[in-house]
Amino acid sequence: MFGFEKPSPVAEHEAEGEIERVYHEIRQTLRVTGVNLIFRHWASHKGLLPVIWDAMRLNAETQIFEHAADQLRTEAVRAIGSLGRLGATSEIALGDSQQYQIRAALTMYHYINPKLLLFAAAVRLGLEGNANTHAPPASAIGTVELGFPPRMYAMEMEDPEPDDERLRKIFADIQQTLKLESINSDYRTLALWPDYLAAVWKQLKPVVQRPEYDAATSLLRESARTLAAALPFPVHLSRDSVESSGGSFDKAVESTEAFEMLLPGLILNVTFCLQDWHDGETLARSPFPAPTRAGGSQQTPRNR
Amino acid sequence: MHWREFQSLQRVTELGDRFISYVDQGQGPPVVFLHGIPTWGYLWHGMLPALSTECRTLILDLPGFGYSDKRDCFDRSIARQAEMVDGWMEQIGVERAAVVAHDIGGGVALRLATLFPHRVERLCLLNAVCYDSWPIEAMLQFGHPETYHKVSASAAVTLLRQALKQGFSHKLSEEVLEGLLSPCRTEVGKVSMIRNAAALNTNLTTELTHLLPRIEVPTQILWGEDDTFQLVKYGQRLESDIPDARLVRISDARHFVMFDQPDEVNEHLRAFLAVASTGPLAAPLQ
Repeated sequence: MFGFEKPSPVAEHEAEGEIERVYHEIRQTLRVTGVNLIFRHWASHKGLLPVIWDAMRLNAETQIFEHAADQLRTEAVRAIGSLGRLGATSEIALGDSQQYQIRAALTMYHYINPKLLLFAAAVRLGLEGNANTHAPPASAIGTVELGFPPRMYAMEMEDPEPDDERLRKIFADIQQTLKLESINSDYRTLALWPDYLAAVWKQLKPVVQRPEYDAATSLLRESARTLAAALPFPVHLSRDSVESSGGSFDKAVESTEAFEMLLPGLILNVTFCLQDWHDGETLARSPFPAPTRAGGSQQTPRNR
Repeated sequence: MHWREFQSLQRVTELGDRFISYVDQGQGPPVVFLHGIPTWGYLWHGMLPALSTECRTLILDLPGFGYSDKRDCFDRSIARQAEMVDGWMEQIGVERAAVVAHDIGGGVALRLATLFPHRVERLCLLNAVCYDSWPIEAMLQFGHPETYHKVSASAAVTLLRQALKQGFSHKLSEEVLEGLLSPCRTEVGKVSMIRNAAALNTNLTTELTHLLPRIEVPTQILWGEDDTFQLVKYGQRLESDIPDARLVRISDARHFVMFDQPDEVNEHLRAFLAVASTGPLAAPLQ
């Protein structure tokens, strides 16, 4: 009755102070050109993103995290094998440069989405008090080189409320079908090529409603939880630690669960799209293998 | 032609870690078109149908502009742009071409003609930056790093649109104006344009001044004489410094001379390019 407004995700150019600091670390550590919706959403809740990020950062820097995400990507490729092909590119006329850029954008998401799912699963375990307490010796943990790969596509996106009426309708349909509170970065990026997004969504919409698809997303989610439980550093996200930094513990749980639910589908959808260009063997490999950071194998928690 | 149609004509090539989008239409002697700031290859769309029947029309988006690479991790100065154009020509197998250039594309073209002279068959400059004619105030302000936080992408498009409008003596259609600024409508596009603006550096043309008399290729200088961004006096100076240059003043035209007087510009350009394979520079048409 008081009409509380839902906070909007914090865009990268709007970030200031701690959020700006964390966004920079996210891009550097997760090796990605932009900040995905999951982080922008957490940033919209006071104090939440810094506490989550600081609890997870050490894990996110490790080769163990990178390899676990690679494993999820491979599982996604295997899972969509039984779901058929999209063939969206054959429906529309795309120029060479457009095809190149769509492929490059999808490849970026193909790389980052499994990392996001793993991240969400680890955060959820931390919030549930199931943090791994059996960390291997710090000397045994390799860390990834910081910074996004030089050939990774810029995370460019259309406005979530675009002027184009056709895009607004597609966004609304995606949100309604997938029960999304906000439209994900992936779809906003594909909206840069409206004909392509329209063709993809037309093909994807019936697929995402199939029981086999649902089963595939559940399997991915389970795998992510198993892999998250084996990450090397404990993720301490107790009610006290979240609330003492100004965040809402209940919001943290609610939003983490929501992203953990939707990310497997995003992983599958992007993999589906890329099948129009690449075979399964190519897709199962990391598009941006992470070199180990020189002198970065001795990892210890930092004081902030 | 709508900008999306133009975009669908673009091909792509990789140059190191960057990618470059370009249109490659028609057959005949190659002609490379270079745009300025804040536009992209679409600037030349009106010339494409006629020119591509007579020559190989190569219209590129300079890296950082249009639908070429817009990542925030490389130098966009006209010095680096000239090197990238040189690399791009090598990559697509064009040894030498006529170069037609506008605004900062003109600065790139002057660097090509002086520092990579083997690449330039003849040169046509339209209201080009040169000497200390640039950067203009609006672009200097836009290039401030604080613009990233202070101005949203949609506000940036509004600002650029207001600035751009002063470059036309005739009202431009909304569709074309929207098309010219379409790459800036996203946050990535906005940042890229901020970086492009931050890279504007007058020293990169003043340092060429002593080299201009060494340009040997025929040079046509088309100048919208009412331009308040790049004053016609700079066109006159270029005419006097480049040995085989001829200035054509286009009346009732400002900075975007190809939109203000499209027929006249087309006619001059086609006459200039048509003689590329047949002999000496034709007399100016005016």
